[in-house]
Amino acid sequence: MFEVKLPDLGDGAGDEAIVSSWHFEEGDEITEGDDLVEMTTDKATFNVPSPRRGILSEILAEEGDVIKVGEVLALLEEE
Amino acid sequence: MPQPQRKFPPWIKKRLPAHPQADRTRDILARHRLNTVCRSAQCPNTGECFARGTATFMLLGNTCTRSCRFCAVEKGAPEPLDVSEPERVALAASEMKLSHVVVTSVTRDDLPDGGAAHFAAVIRELRARMPEATVEVLVPDFQGSRESVRVVVEAGPDVFNHNVETVWSLYPQVRPQADYRRSLRILKTAKELKPQMLVKSGLMVGLGERPEEVEEVMKDLLQHGCDILTIGQYLRPSPQHLPVVEFLEPSHFERYGEIARRMGFRAVASAPFVRSSYNAKAVQKEANSK
Ligand code: SF4
Repeated sequence: MFEVKLPDLGDGAGDEAIVSSWHFEEGDEITEGDDLVEMTTDKATFNVPSPRRGILSEILAEEGDVIKVGEVLALLEEE
Repeated sequence: MPQPQRKFPPWIKKRLPAHPQADRTRDILARHRLNTVCRSAQCPNTGECFARGTATFMLLGNTCTRSCRFCAVEKGAPEPLDVSEPERVALAASEMKLSHVVVTSVTRDDLPDGGAAHFAAVIRELRARMPEATVEVLVPDFQGSRESVRVVVEAGPDVFNHNVETVWSLYPQVRPQADYRRSLRILKTAKELKPQMLVKSGLMVGLGERPEEVEEVMKDLLQHGCDILTIGQYLRPSPQHLPVVEFLEPSHFERYGEIARRMGFRAVASAPFVRSSYNAKAVQKEANSK
């Protein structure tokens, strides 16, 4: 199982972002580099791409949730 | 806890790198105890730039003596000057294998020279340890001190950058402790001291300025010896900062870029996510090719 974490947005560990929308649903097949989820900070919207390929097995951050850098957004089942 | 969504137009969207080698950049910076404006100012390009292995060093501490209303850098009592910093910058820059090193600083109105000698020491260290790298300094206004500009210019940077940040009429709201004319004079002084050195400046748009005012700034900059111009969208770092008055569409940035090139700038970067240091290496190359 691979954990997709919120990457650095620029402001260090205390940085956080709000989940605005998922581009996929649980069970979807993901290719490396696919934009998984859109997040917003005070400054801008960010697309978070998937660093791996696999099946999106579990979404751990719902739309509207505040997520800190390094926190897990979703789990990928690697084939 | 769910919070109200912040809404941005579709072009205010960045893609984070899928493979953030950012960790490596972050690690080098931490080991050498260095600040970057990327982080301190919460630059939205940080993920992209760090993944590319670039960053802009911020000298003289993490606390600024001015209180500009657009900027996320912390404000307050400054930190003591650290004489080991120039060497640490040069060590980090060579570890990062930078071919173009950009250094800036917080504004240090408490130091008699505004930090000019410190900038000069950094340039000298970089020259000594990385003779092939080009060096760009992004300096504060040194309260208009010609002497401070001279100290920095004589250390021999390839690019001398000082941002006017906004149009004249918005200075009281945006940069209350700065002075538009004084910033222009800084650029002019630098160019006069060394005409072959590239002089660069930039501004944020979306703060309520009128297009005619932006064109006025372009004319003023050219008249004061500026070769390179950057224009980017102002983005509010937090609800405590100045609000964004307008998100300009990408076509407006292109138009400003065309106008500036036609007026005679040697290189122009104008797009929503352009920052003064964004893609600085490519911008410098463009200017040098003319
Ligand atoms: S644009 Fe400049 S300040 Fe922003 S991350 Fe890149 S190098 Fe840093």
